[in-house]
Amino acid sequence: MAARETSKGLTWTIADADHMTQAEIYGEVLTQLGEKNEKIVALTADLAGSTKIGRFEQRFPERFFNLGIAENNMFSLASGMSAAGMLPVVSTFAVFASLRSAEFVRTDICYQNRNVKIIGTHSGTSFGQAGTTHHCTEDLGVMRTFANMTVIAPADSFETAKAVVAALETEGPVYIRIGRSFEPPLHQDLDFDFEIGRAITLHEGTDLTVIVSGRPAVSALEAAEIAERNKISMRVVNMHTVKPIDEEAIMKAVTETRRIITVEDHNVYGGLGSAVAEVIAKNGKACALRSLGLNDEYSIVGYPDDLLNYYKLDADGILEAMQELLTAEIEEDEDWEDEY
Amino acid sequence: MDRDELVSRIFLRSALPLIKDLAEEQPLYKKLFPKKGVIQLQADDNEGVAAQILFEEGEISVRPGKHEKPDLTLCFRTTAMLNSFFAGKTLLPKIRGLAKIHLLFRVLPLLLGVKILLPNALPEDAKKRALKVKLLLFMITNALSQLNKGGDEEFLKTTENSPDRIFQWTVKDGPAAFLRMKAGKTKAGRGTYTRRRPFVHMIFPDIDSAFMVLTSQAPLVEAVRLGYVVTEGAMEGSKEMGYHMQRVEELTGAYA
Repeated sequence: MAARETSKGLTWTIADADHMTQAEIYGEVLTQLGEKNEKIVALTADLAGSTKIGRFEQRFPERFFNLGIAENNMFSLASGMSAAGMLPVVSTFAVFASLRSAEFVRTDICYQNRNVKIIGTHSGTSFGQAGTTHHCTEDLGVMRTFANMTVIAPADSFETAKAVVAALETEGPVYIRIGRSFEPPLHQDLDFDFEIGRAITLHEGTDLTVIVSGRPAVSALEAAEIAERNKISMRVVNMHTVKPIDEEAIMKAVTETRRIITVEDHNVYGGLGSAVAEVIAKNGKACALRSLGLNDEYSIVGYPDDLLNYYKLDADGILEAMQELLTAEIEEDEDWEDEY
Repeated sequence: MDRDELVSRIFLRSALPLIKDLAEEQPLYKKLFPKKGVIQLQADDNEGVAAQILFEEGEISVRPGKHEKPDLTLCFRTTAMLNSFFAGKTLLPKIRGLAKIHLLFRVLPLLLGVKILLPNALPEDAKKRALKVKLLLFMITNALSQLNKGGDEEFLKTTENSPDRIFQWTVKDGPAAFLRMKAGKTKAGRGTYTRRRPFVHMIFPDIDSAFMVLTSQAPLVEAVRLGYVVTEGAMEGSKEMGYHMQRVEELTGAYA
């Protein structure tokens, strides 16, 4: 039996993580935090089961609100609850939070700078067989354009647990994008530092950098290990916070490796790749950048892992992009005359 | 390119140009420089083995290849003999253009000064040790680049498939040099490459530590243990480059 994790007072175990989805971990952590902070209230729109906050409902029925299939009302209500001193945590599918209710999130929560936490489950293509309408490959783009909003995309269950804790400790609106499927763990336990806006370097390297957010982080790490066996030095930066983004980590990658691949289960427009490109352009340093994601298209239907492979977001896809990027003639520093 | 020609490339393009650095160190030498003049070194058995020492307005420079009209030419019968000359053997080349033999006397102190690079030159004087370290750093990085540009098959195995990588050598508060390689191309540079992080960075804490390592007085494993050199980055890359540095030493040393 794995030792119980005590970081931040959480009491679930590694063994639990083996059979819990990101959403279940989120529900578990939220319930534990609810024990300590009675201001926390949970809201859902008929998706308590799917978003795994049923445990919170069982433990705190008086602090749990099912609004029915009325997401827009839910976000407006959450804003009002926040104004009244409560700490609302709203859970629904990412596609509903970011697209159906976009105006309500923007106007009632972000514009008012309310202390509301939004958990978007089943993000990216993680809903697999549920179909394109329930996939969400636009949420990062939408959410990060809302002023005041913090946007986090954890890579696994352990990171989700840490992200939920950090979000509740952070004043203002926060959007946490998580998956649905049984994502493989990136971390082995809770023994790592997690700070909103501070990227985690998963693997050191100097030939190129992969900046990744969300579940493809596991693929990136796998790719780095394969690359290492082939004498390629790949840095992997887990950019779990897409806004505010860790500019220092990006510029370090630019100046130290000069080749960057971004990887995200999201449209290549608007998400992590765009955010990284903005930082590079702002700082004016030359760098070769490739963005892996859905290439401005709507996702096909299939098993989540097959979709990662199809969109080249698995280790094979990242290695393929690496090969292309390493051989590309892209640098203006093409002076090969020896200096005397 | 055969071995003789490859080694001559290293001597003529990596070692000989260092006379310019020696001149910078010793302003006295510069006072001897003529306003104009060309001295050529060549091997008579290979048209491609030649270099020119050029004097122009009190400055000195070295260029590879033959000059159209050299004032003075030092002719070595074979490329191997030219190599032996640079490796420290006492050899007298045939001299053409004796009328301008004074040019040779003006550059002779510098040519003799290059002997500081020979493995058996182990000066005690701190200034000379610092000079040797600086020249060795410049020569080693340049020699590695010549090895590649000269088509050395073993080194090509390293460079041909290499992504854009920097191998950096730095003496703290002292000289630095780098070798950049990418897909079969190489460049030896002076100072610190600032456009990307080195793939391998060998850092010497001071001149004396660098002297011990670069003159092979301290074997590498021992040097690491004693803190004479700290390597940051890819250890395998460091090992591979160490092997090629060793090969340069063996290739040039074979003519001594």
